[in-house]
Amino acid sequence: MKKLVSLVLTMAFAVTACFSLSGCNKQPAASSDATSKAEETTAGSKETDAESKPAAGNFKVGAIYINSQNDTSGYTFAHHKGITDAMKEVGLDPAKDLYIVDNVPEDDEKVKQAIDQLAGDGCNIIFGISFGYINAMNEKATEYPDIIFSHATGYMSNDKNFNNYFGRIYQARYLAGIAAGYKSLALKNDNIGYVSAWGTEYAETCSGINGFALGARSVNPNAKIHVYEISTWGDQEKERQAAQVLIDTYKCCVIGQHCDSAQPQIVANEKGVFGCGYNSDMTNEAPKAHLTAAIWNWSAYYATAMKAAMTDKASFMTSVGNYYQGLNAGLVDVSPLSGNCEPETAEAIKIARDLMTSGKWDVFSGVKLSFSGAAGSVTAEQKSDALKTNKGEEKVAAGGASVGDDVIQGSMNYYVEGVTQVN
Amino acid sequence: MKKYHLVRRPRQSLRRLLAYYLIGIIISLGIGAILLASLGINPFEYYGRMLTIGMIGNKYAYKNVEGFLKVLVPLLITSLALGLSFKMRFWNIGGEGEFLIGAISAAIVAFNVTGLPRPITIILMCVAAMLSSGLLGLAVAFFKVKFNTNETLVTLMLNYIMLYVITYLGKTKEDWNFFLDPKSARPIFGKFPDTGIMTGIKIGNFNLLWSVIIAIALIALIYVYLKYTKHGYEISVVGDSSATAKYAGMKVGKIIMRTMFISSALIGLAAGLTASSSGTISETITNNVGWTGIVVAWLGKLSVPAIAVTSVLIAILQFGCKTAATKYPSIDSNFADLLQGIILFSVLTADFVATFTLKKKEDAKNG
Repeated sequence: MKKLVSLVLTMAFAVTACFSLSGCNKQPAASSDATSKAEETTAGSKETDAESKPAAGNFKVGAIYINSQNDTSGYTFAHHKGITDAMKEVGLDPAKDLYIVDNVPEDDEKVKQAIDQLAGDGCNIIFGISFGYINAMNEKATEYPDIIFSHATGYMSNDKNFNNYFGRIYQARYLAGIAAGYKSLALKNDNIGYVSAWGTEYAETCSGINGFALGARSVNPNAKIHVYEISTWGDQEKERQAAQVLIDTYKCCVIGQHCDSAQPQIVANEKGVFGCGYNSDMTNEAPKAHLTAAIWNWSAYYATAMKAAMTDKASFMTSVGNYYQGLNAGLVDVSPLSGNCEPETAEAIKIARDLMTSGKWDVFSGVKLSFSGAAGSVTAEQKSDALKTNKGEEKVAAGGASVGDDVIQGSMNYYVEGVTQVN
Repeated sequence: MKKYHLVRRPRQSLRRLLAYYLIGIIISLGIGAILLASLGINPFEYYGRMLTIGMIGNKYAYKNVEGFLKVLVPLLITSLALGLSFKMRFWNIGGEGEFLIGAISAAIVAFNVTGLPRPITIILMCVAAMLSSGLLGLAVAFFKVKFNTNETLVTLMLNYIMLYVITYLGKTKEDWNFFLDPKSARPIFGKFPDTGIMTGIKIGNFNLLWSVIIAIALIALIYVYLKYTKHGYEISVVGDSSATAKYAGMKVGKIIMRTMFISSALIGLAAGLTASSSGTISETITNNVGWTGIVVAWLGKLSVPAIAVTSVLIAILQFGCKTAATKYPSIDSNFADLLQGIILFSVLTADFVATFTLKKKEDAKNG
């Protein structure tokens, strides 16, 4: 019993000690009645008074990440870079005005706690980057009507303060596919591989695969896209093995990918074949193999959203609304073409890009591009040709308009002609 | 040859113990302060935020208390439950698995039993959770008693089995899978119908969940159970020496199985309450209480009041570290975990140093 009392006392004492320790030493920096004062003046602004920008006022950005902001590549990295770049663009200081809860799993309770924390810290807009945050964000948007909630890759929204955002990455995939198509023509090898997190169960992955395939086949009509599904968004070992299988067994000469790390490109580099990365320019990781990567430039969206929220929060859902943009807004693109690309690639990509940014043509329509001609005189012919699945089912009649955005984002669950899943 | 021996101090002086803990904490906070300062962060501000679980300058400070309690309750109950089995020297490290099966069972009830009043549904959820977890624990104890299997290994492996079960449920989009949100094309866990979601007592804005009240009641109940009942006495005798217990005519096997059932059922209760207060389940619902609970139980020296106090402190540390990191974009939750680790390690070291001492001994033979 004595032992027990002593232990309780010890613990209690230890805690008081910690409190008083940090309390005493804090005196010069902040007064001890910080609790009451801080209700109005937030901790952050206390030290920033001297150099704060009046224009930005007290605007604070909150972010909920699935991984860590200190990642050096991958999904969270791309979003964090987008948010910090956008903040600088609109005159906010990421070191002071950005609040982050990182490593938040797709668990409603933990997402809600993260939102409560960010709301309590006074954030005016909260970005959640992972799909599984959807229900928690939806619920909390009602609870905090003064805060804008913005959710990547989701499908829910309300008409006041909750939107979703994503981009036409399939357009960038199409451009990367062109680079892959030229490579396969030059190597006289029609087999192109693709390491994918998921297959047809997610529209996000299968629309990417289809865009890439259509791009490759616009150059090389005989190209075959072999998809290897690894059933996880990121696992370096599985990504590696998948690329090895595609190269060794299916004799693929170019490896595309939709997964987190650069492993597929690194394997391509080791095996002397070529590849198209994803999320970031992977030329550094695979200098001899990498052609170009489909990349995100999230700051295009984040800057738009922050500006709208800073100027007029109430009209956010009309000024920004549910955001779904592509090459035209600079939200997606391909990384600068590496020296490994065939000479015709740049011209063909430019033609396709212009057609898409001008809105004259889009990937999943009943019109297909067909590139021909040598470098310097590359031309694209627009042919009426139905969009068919790899099982021969017609999705868009020849000459027809593009499938709806809801299909690309949500219900696309088929591969187009020329795609086969190998596992 | 001189040899050093670790010797348990014959008598624990309260003052010495206090001093050691204090020194340990100061050292760890000092190390943390150096790390923070090197990242350009004012350590005092960080610690202030950490120890007040982020309530300073918070527009919705009461939400942090609610969040903190949601972290505390499962940790507290799980630690107490693990303490029960540890007291008997039964090394149950299967808290995670027992928690998960409890959460799954509670979710089965929540999704399928509709139309009953909320309190009854929630009680049914908790009963289902307690039964499933309790039976899992009972099975382990049965194998231990009948075949002398190693309970550490069995409970450890069951953790992974249960983790994969819930992962499977969370990732498999099939018609039979009622755990998932039917509206979402991608598999995500659905929300319970309203009848399965716990409410609480409103005190102004603050919502005091029923689970907090239940947890406090449990502290008292378990204390009385261990201290003043025959069962409690039997547990301590078995823990001291099962041979003695046998000699005294106790049915050791029965005591082990009964206690293990109670211990696991309590963890199941924690899971049921957590699932109900979250309104859903997930792979990360345990928040690692099955592991952290082991540390808490031992830091609390298996005494009920000490475990209660320790779990409050550890929950402050966990919640506070994470909360403090939010404000500083340059540090992530990995840093928060690191700091937490340094502090825990220091306290454990202080505890060790306070309990044991090095003694020089002349060894007559060879060294």
